[in-house]
Amino acid sequence: MAEIVDIEAKGLNFYYSGNVHAIKDVNIAAYKKKVTALIGPSGCGKTTLLRCYNRMHDLYPKNRYEGEVIFEGRNILSKDVDIISLRSRIGMVFQKPTPFPMSVFDNIAYGLRLKGIKSRGELSERVEKALRNAAIWDEVFGKLNVSAYELSGGQQQRLCIARALAVEPEIILFDEPTSALDPISTGKIEELIVELKKNVTIIIVTHNMQQAARISDWTGFMMLGELIEFDKTEKIFTAPTEKLTEDYITGRFG
Amino acid sequence: MNIERRRKAENIIALFLSSLAAFSGISWLVFILGDVLIHGIGALKLSLFISDPVPPGVEGGGLRNAFAGQMLITLFATLIGVPFGVLGGTFLAEYARGTRVAAVVSILSDIMVSVPSIVIGTFIYAVLVKPLGHFSGWAGATALAVIMIPVVLRTTEDMLSLVPWTLREAAFALGAPYYKVIIQVVYRAAATGIFTGILLAVARVAGETAPLLFTSFNNAYFSLNMNGPISSLTATIFQYAMGPYDDWHAQAWAASFVITATVLLITIVGRILISWRLK
Repeated sequence: MAEIVDIEAKGLNFYYSGNVHAIKDVNIAAYKKKVTALIGPSGCGKTTLLRCYNRMHDLYPKNRYEGEVIFEGRNILSKDVDIISLRSRIGMVFQKPTPFPMSVFDNIAYGLRLKGIKSRGELSERVEKALRNAAIWDEVFGKLNVSAYELSGGQQQRLCIARALAVEPEIILFDEPTSALDPISTGKIEELIVELKKNVTIIIVTHNMQQAARISDWTGFMMLGELIEFDKTEKIFTAPTEKLTEDYITGRFG
Repeated sequence: MNIERRRKAENIIALFLSSLAAFSGISWLVFILGDVLIHGIGALKLSLFISDPVPPGVEGGGLRNAFAGQMLITLFATLIGVPFGVLGGTFLAEYARGTRVAAVVSILSDIMVSVPSIVIGTFIYAVLVKPLGHFSGWAGATALAVIMIPVVLRTTEDMLSLVPWTLREAAFALGAPYYKVIIQVVYRAAATGIFTGILLAVARVAGETAPLLFTSFNNAYFSLNMNGPISSLTATIFQYAMGPYDDWHAQAWAASFVITATVLLITIVGRILISWRLK
């Protein structure tokens, strides 16, 4: 296989406060510039796994990781990792659009300013680039100073993708990015994700199996905190090895 | 058929009773406001705002001292009360969120909101007036600030709690440290709500008399010295309304009208901001 591993969980366990064992000994790799989809029934731990990659769980007290997540040769779960720089290299897009209460421009520039970029020229340039890469420039170039709340839901979500792209991360995590959107907006986001993988590694959690089949290269199927099966997407959807995977993708439960 | 008719009758009775209750409540309010309006507008004169009180029995004079003192005390009360309230509310909603400390402080502030204001007046009397040996504008401003703090604190806490968590997570996900998330994202999202809370708190203390009687007391002369006793509209209304002179009564009405109208205006602006925010 000519695939290069970008980020890899090794023997990963995760406990929510109160010792709820949400991720159980998971080993999974995400390959560089590929789309990896995580599927499984509600509560299976796919979002929990996704949030391990940018240490989102650190925001809440008493959450505990065990095992390793290796990114560029380092275990990002170790205490001495700078979470702030980690998060600027591993971006995230959420289930519901989360525009900040500021203008379209300031939304995109937010992460750049956090990185210390102050020059107006460089900001404009990088904001435009991010908006173009998120395929939303044509819709908002005349509205850069308008509040981001005035955009439609689908546009807001692409704005959030642009905001994540602006800081030029290596990996973007998508947490059910289309579950709050209509089919047309969903289509646009899916096309965008396929386009984005030319430059970034993508890990996407989705409830929608057709979506996983359409856009991903690799798929992991999870259940009750365990990774049941991980393989190339066409293999998972045509000839899964595990009985549980087959039952799930054929709609026998879930 | 019979049941339907009965339901209709019950509906009419319920409607009648609730309307009656509403109207009798509103009629008292209209009565009070109307009374203040009628007596107050008649007594409104330009001299009320630009001249100081004259000795009883002498014609004319105004309440310039009281207007100035009131504004000064309210301004400093706001300057003292708002930072404590907003930062305290931020602590409760952000840093101490979900902890027992936050729950206890929240409940204590709710109790503080309903403590009679005269109790706060006597408390400040005991800690700021008695030890220093004299009444002062600072004591008055502090008393009003103490009344404001729990109001601003609770509104801030509520408004910050209304900001969805995913918005904070989105900012964290870009690599923002917590204080920047709060200042740049959460405050922005809650700005109108917090500002409205501050306005309503100002409106609330602007009408307080009891805490001022024990702290800034009153002053028949024009003074902007916060270290000494200072006049306020509410304390003056109290003094003038109790006094024996018709001139005093008229000025007390006029002052009542001005203060009511101001508080009403601030409250209406606050309400408009709330409805605008929730749109």
